[in-house]
Amino acid sequence: MKCPIDSRETEILVAYCSGSLAAERSPLLASHLEDCAACRQFVKDQQAVWDALDGWQAAPVSADFNRRLYQRIEQPHSWFDRLALSLHWSGLRQAIPIAASAAVVLMAGLLLQHNFSAPPVAHHNSAVVEAIQPDDLENALSEMEALSQLSRPVRSDNAGSKM
Amino acid sequence: MTRIYTAEPQPRMDERVNRDVGAVVTALDLDAELMLRVKDGDGASFGILLDKHRVPVVHFLYRMVQNHAVAEELAQEVFLRVYRSRATYEPTAKFTTWLFRIATHLALNSLRDGKHDRTQERLDDTAPDMPVRQVPDVKPSVEQSMVHQAKMEEVRKAVAALPEKQRAAVLMHKYQEMEYTQIAKVLNCSESAVKSLLFRAYETLRARLAHMA
Repeated sequence: MKCPIDSRETEILVAYCSGSLAAERSPLLASHLEDCAACRQFVKDQQAVWDALDGWQAAPVSADFNRRLYQRIEQPHSWFDRLALSLHWSGLRQAIPIAASAAVVLMAGLLLQHNFSAPPVAHHNSAVVEAIQPDDLENALSEMEALSQLSRPVRSDNAGSKM
Repeated sequence: MTRIYTAEPQPRMDERVNRDVGAVVTALDLDAELMLRVKDGDGASFGILLDKHRVPVVHFLYRMVQNHAVAEELAQEVFLRVYRSRATYEPTAKFTTWLFRIATHLALNSLRDGKHDRTQERLDDTAPDMPVRQVPDVKPSVEQSMVHQAKMEEVRKAVAALPEKQRAAVLMHKYQEMEYTQIAKVLNCSESAVKSLLFRAYETLRARLAHMA
């Protein structure tokens, strides 16, 4: 048989170590191991791993595990828990903070857009170009004159301000 | 929908498979049959499943998160979810595949949340319920016990150092004796991905633990 290491099929060697290799393949591999030092070393190292993992015991389960579980089962299952569970299993758990952040960014963008798109406050020194009717023009001029009178003290304080 | 459980004889398992899920699932395991009975309202069947799978699930979670208290808490959540999902349960895969998929999911979330970082147990922590190393006939000497504890600490660290998915794959392959196909379904990846995970995991473990031979 082909060398499992050369053919990158080391799972055969792992299976051999765990005793789960198909019965018909074990004799073939055993024969190969007699001639292949690399595979022999692999098996030796893997067996050491297997033995080490075998020795790693876990503590017994608590005697009151079932009792505690049944207590939790008997507790009312709120609609929030059901929603959270459905979101959890639909894979949205990690998307929630992303969605929340996106919502915040979107809101901020909408607010900024509102601020920027709002009609600018007419300043007495700025030129406002728009299509207006003659009556509207007269009214606008009257308003500008009124604004000018109101802002006169401010203008004297800001003599160096730009237009 | 509440279904009344009657005392009439239950149909044979194969008849139930053909009636409920058709010919798609041809090898329905006993656990799936029990879970279908839980779906029908049979609480005793849930107890059977719990007693059968409680220890493997807790031990799997313990080796994943390496904290016994957290492992039991997560295991409780696993079985709670199994029970609460009973109404929509469909045996599209082996029951243990579904069970360990829930367990792995919760373990990975717990690890990523870092809930256990500061409470990771050492193997030599004294605990009244910790298993005593079994040596037939001869009591281990103090030195032997210390050597054994040091070795197990090394094993624990080696497994803890594995990336989470590699760790899960190794634990399912070694302790649950799952085939690559089933591990792939649990981890929701391809079989070749599982082979790759195990190849790298065992390569790392051999490098760290081979000297124990």
